[in-house]
Amino acid sequence: MATQKGGYTPSLEKFLDSLKSRPVQASVELLISLLKRRQIKGSEACATATAHILLQVVARDKWTNVDQLLGRIQLIGRKLVAAQPHELATGNIVRRVLGLIRDEASEERNDATTDSPRPASPSLPAVSHASSPSKPARPPLLPSIGGSFARTQSMFNLLSDPNVILSTGSNASTPGQVSGASTPILNPQATNVSSLRSEVIDGIQEIMDEIKMVDEQVQTYADIFIHPGDYILVYQPSRTVQKFLTRAASKRKFTVFLVVDPSTTATSEGQYASLLKSMASNGSSVITVLNAGLMAYMSRVDKVILGARAITAQGGVVVDSGAAAIARAARERRRTVIVLGGVYKLSSESKLLSESQIEWGDPSKYVSFADGSLVSQVRVKNAVSEFLPADQVDTYITNLGAHAQENLHTIIADHYKEEDINFDLYGKAQR
Amino acid sequence: MSQSKGGRGGAAAKSKKGSKPGGEEKREAALQAVACLIADDFQTRFLPFSLDKPRCLLPLANTPLIEYTLEFLAMNDVKEVFIYCGAHYEQIERYIQNSRWLPIAQSSPFSVLEFIRVADARSEGDFLRDLDGRGIIGGDFLLVHGDLISNLSLEGALAAHRARREANRDSCMTMVLREAGEAEHHTKARTKSPIFIVDPRKNRCLHYEELNPFQADRYVDLDPTILENSEAEARIDLVDAQIDICTPDVLALWSESFDYELPRANFLHGVLKDWELNGKMIHTEIVTEGYSARATNLQMYDAISHDIVGGWAYPFTPDCNLLKGQTYQLRNDNIYQEDDVFVEDDAEAIDAVLGRDTHVGSKSIIQNSIIGRNCKIGSNVRIINSFIWDDVEIEDDAVIEHAIVADTTHIGRGVAVREGCLVSYGVRIGEKLDIGASTVLSLLSHSRSPLESQPKVVGPQGKGARFLYPEEDEAGAEDLERLENSLIYNLEQFDIETSSVSSLGDDGLSDDDSEAASTTPSQPTVRSRLSSFASDDSGAPNFSSFHADAVHGLLEVLRGSVGDFDSEKLEFTSLRLANNASDVAMRKAVATAFVRRAVELMNAESSGLDASKAAKETLTSREGASSFVADVGVGGDSVSEQLEFALAVQRACVSSTKVIEVGKAGNLLAAMLQQMYDLDVLEEDGLLAWWEDARGKEGEVMPVVRAKCQPLIEWLENAEEESDEDDDDSD
Repeated sequence: MATQKGGYTPSLEKFLDSLKSRPVQASVELLISLLKRRQIKGSEACATATAHILLQVVARDKWTNVDQLLGRIQLIGRKLVAAQPHELATGNIVRRVLGLIRDEASEERNDATTDSPRPASPSLPAVSHASSPSKPARPPLLPSIGGSFARTQSMFNLLSDPNVILSTGSNASTPGQVSGASTPILNPQATNVSSLRSEVIDGIQEIMDEIKMVDEQVQTYADIFIHPGDYILVYQPSRTVQKFLTRAASKRKFTVFLVVDPSTTATSEGQYASLLKSMASNGSSVITVLNAGLMAYMSRVDKVILGARAITAQGGVVVDSGAAAIARAARERRRTVIVLGGVYKLSSESKLLSESQIEWGDPSKYVSFADGSLVSQVRVKNAVSEFLPADQVDTYITNLGAHAQENLHTIIADHYKEEDINFDLYGKAQR
Repeated sequence: MSQSKGGRGGAAAKSKKGSKPGGEEKREAALQAVACLIADDFQTRFLPFSLDKPRCLLPLANTPLIEYTLEFLAMNDVKEVFIYCGAHYEQIERYIQNSRWLPIAQSSPFSVLEFIRVADARSEGDFLRDLDGRGIIGGDFLLVHGDLISNLSLEGALAAHRARREANRDSCMTMVLREAGEAEHHTKARTKSPIFIVDPRKNRCLHYEELNPFQADRYVDLDPTILENSEAEARIDLVDAQIDICTPDVLALWSESFDYELPRANFLHGVLKDWELNGKMIHTEIVTEGYSARATNLQMYDAISHDIVGGWAYPFTPDCNLLKGQTYQLRNDNIYQEDDVFVEDDAEAIDAVLGRDTHVGSKSIIQNSIIGRNCKIGSNVRIINSFIWDDVEIEDDAVIEHAIVADTTHIGRGVAVREGCLVSYGVRIGEKLDIGASTVLSLLSHSRSPLESQPKVVGPQGKGARFLYPEEDEAGAEDLERLENSLIYNLEQFDIETSSVSSLGDDGLSDDDSEAASTTPSQPTVRSRLSSFASDDSGAPNFSSFHADAVHGLLEVLRGSVGDFDSEKLEFTSLRLANNASDVAMRKAVATAFVRRAVELMNAESSGLDASKAAKETLTSREGASSFVADVGVGGDSVSEQLEFALAVQRACVSSTKVIEVGKAGNLLAAMLQQMYDLDVLEEDGLLAWWEDARGKEGEVMPVVRAKCQPLIEWLENAEEESDEDDDDSD
């Protein structure tokens, strides 16, 4: 069911607006129910929301050492993933943030061991003072929250035992679990909490920027892949694909076959208006094709460009429903299939079966609910997404450039820590 | 408060357009999105399950109903919720206290969630009048019930409501209705079909009516003023989930009419009817996307469960895991399965929902069913179209078809639970028993007193007994009640036509159930007075009212209170022509009236006559009675007509067994026929033909009643022989 923007219905924008005014735990729960109700959907929206909520957790939750923070992020990550297991982007962002925290923590530890190999407890005041001057060096993107919290946190540390903080901490839901997993009390990391906090916040900000920049970065590769006179086939182009085409059109002249699912033709007109306009103004032509007539055009097509919902490590791609048939048709004709998507869509998740990646939606797209006999006698299934096996894709274009299937592993290794890859976000224990 | 508001509303409507009335009101409304949730609607449709638990806590696809409702409210960003509870309020309160909805819990999307108890409430109307008295509602609010399942976005409806409200302060309510096609649809309420007369240009609802299958007259009376609108549509294709966007005026209207109980049948109907008086307008918002339905009875429960498993209420599918701790995942073959479910390899499950820790034994088949948590299902069990709640044990070789089996029940080895059965909490069914279709088993009676176990039904080791529904005081509502309480919508078990008569009948006498079936094969008639009007279509809609009127008129004459048979004959004929009634209907009416009169005489308190005297009194006390019967009732001399009339008398006697014993009814029949024979209304041939006719032996009661006529027939046969002999002699 389509949710409208603005007004009463909750949406991503309203959720982000309300983040600062709400306790962190409440925001987490709200996000979970928004994901469950599919009021936030789509990989970009899910990734953005996840990044924001994790930023809030890092910035505003009380935590005294790295393990505690990691435990907290893992716990929330699992909840978010459980709320909408079909959106792999959520898990990706969680893993990215976990990796980020590990990186920053090990850096800090190195600093600490090289600079000041001192016993922990007497040094507490000194370190907290030392850490504050280091802060202005970084761009404080969330000065009000990050700064004030970091300070109160470090002041708090002066007076209280870390254990006490643990039990009075705002993460009321599972203090026990976190403390169980965390390391001993006199952890030198505790001293670096505030600087670590701002480092991690910066890192998450970077991830958020990256998500925002994906479209811009991906489209820079447009003129490499689209040549003058090409016949390009796209299926229900996402914003990323549309921008990609627009960019190419500004330099070259080519023809686009715009394939639209018959059931969505009514709404698609407005959706693709800007694409049509910019293509036309640059002299490229767009031909709208209904899904049914697809095969007839395939012999003319040079390249098929699809937007990914998620990309797995093995190269399989989760796409909008209907795209898999197109990819298969392209494979029959030996046409190039190009998949676009940000690196944040690249998932390390390997255990999942392709089948379970399909989300089944509301059948009313194809059968009207008013058709009583069909509704009661026939089981109608409407896939929201589909899984494209790796062998049907030739090239992947991310914000980092074009990749072959074999390279995906290296990108994953660059972005995720091994311990996070192995961490089972889909574990049933925490749900 | 509300009244003063109403006054202001009136003033604003009169003021000129340019002055923008109600600007401040609008802001207030936008801020306060209050939902009033009624968790109980004083109905007994979920008996016997609702004895132990309130309806809104019953599991639908293994999630309590109220969860869906609260999700729907949260989805539409409602902030304040007031819950009215009737029965079992403590359970509902406890449930909410422990849930994520409590505003203290940070997970709650609501800022206010309050329970309101009304001690002496007897209807939904009482709740709303109480709400008005409390004055907690300042602006527009949403009124929903605790058994609502919906994924609608109210955005559009709210905007339209506000716009209308601003244009005219008298538009006080917007009903959100879902289109569901004119054809049969399982999610449409079938026991009470709503009819909305709507002005399609303004979306204004002009008239509301409910029809049920037992209704005598299947037409809707329209006020002529409705036709003054340039357009009006009668909509029967709507699913009414009773999602109402109301203004405080609605509460004021409820308070004004203290006798309204139901929001639709009473309130909506009443307010629309009195439009000239109160000037309030009610609008509809008919949506074509999304899902909305109320689990008002078990049939709706069945339908909605299947809609949810079928994904129609997306995103509210089982794998949405609304409740904390749920872990449903969609597997192949459309099985929603939680963690730790164990299905043996050679067991087969299709289109099913399986709760946690449930074990399905080998070679078992589960089809189109919903099974709760911690159920133990043995091997070689077949469960089809059924609902098994939590902690149920089903032993090997059992069969369950289209039934509801509640928590902690035990179903023994080889038991067959047939279609439409309801097995309530804690019932134990022994081994190798066949629980017949539509059996209702419970440990408690409807007054919550424990029932003594019936070993005949549940076996010697079993626990539980047949559950009897409380009796309905309203005459004629019985069938509707029975239909609403059953899991399967099946009109075949009821006789629509005759039961509709019983709802109009005055003496509590209703006609025989098998009648409709047996009258349909139309008899070729040779009757000359059958004009071109007449048809043998007994299912014609106006037939029932003809019957009721005719019987009533005849009875009056028979009792001697008014008129005589000459004038009655005229009246009767005109009634027949006016209603285009068939011969069958006429015979039936005459027979019914006379038998009823006889029964009246027999049952009279002071001077109860015996059967033969009663029959004689009936047929002879009023002048012209017998000739009336001969002319109008029988209508001719042919054997077939006499046969038909005798049959009609027999049926009338059979249906009188509801007020007198079967034996007496038999005596009465014999006496009536004897008397008619004596009066030359019926002749030998006719009676003998009746005696031979197979239709008189159908059913259970018919032969019993008929048996009493044995002596009469024997006597007749002898008389015949004698007369034959006489003839011989004379030759």
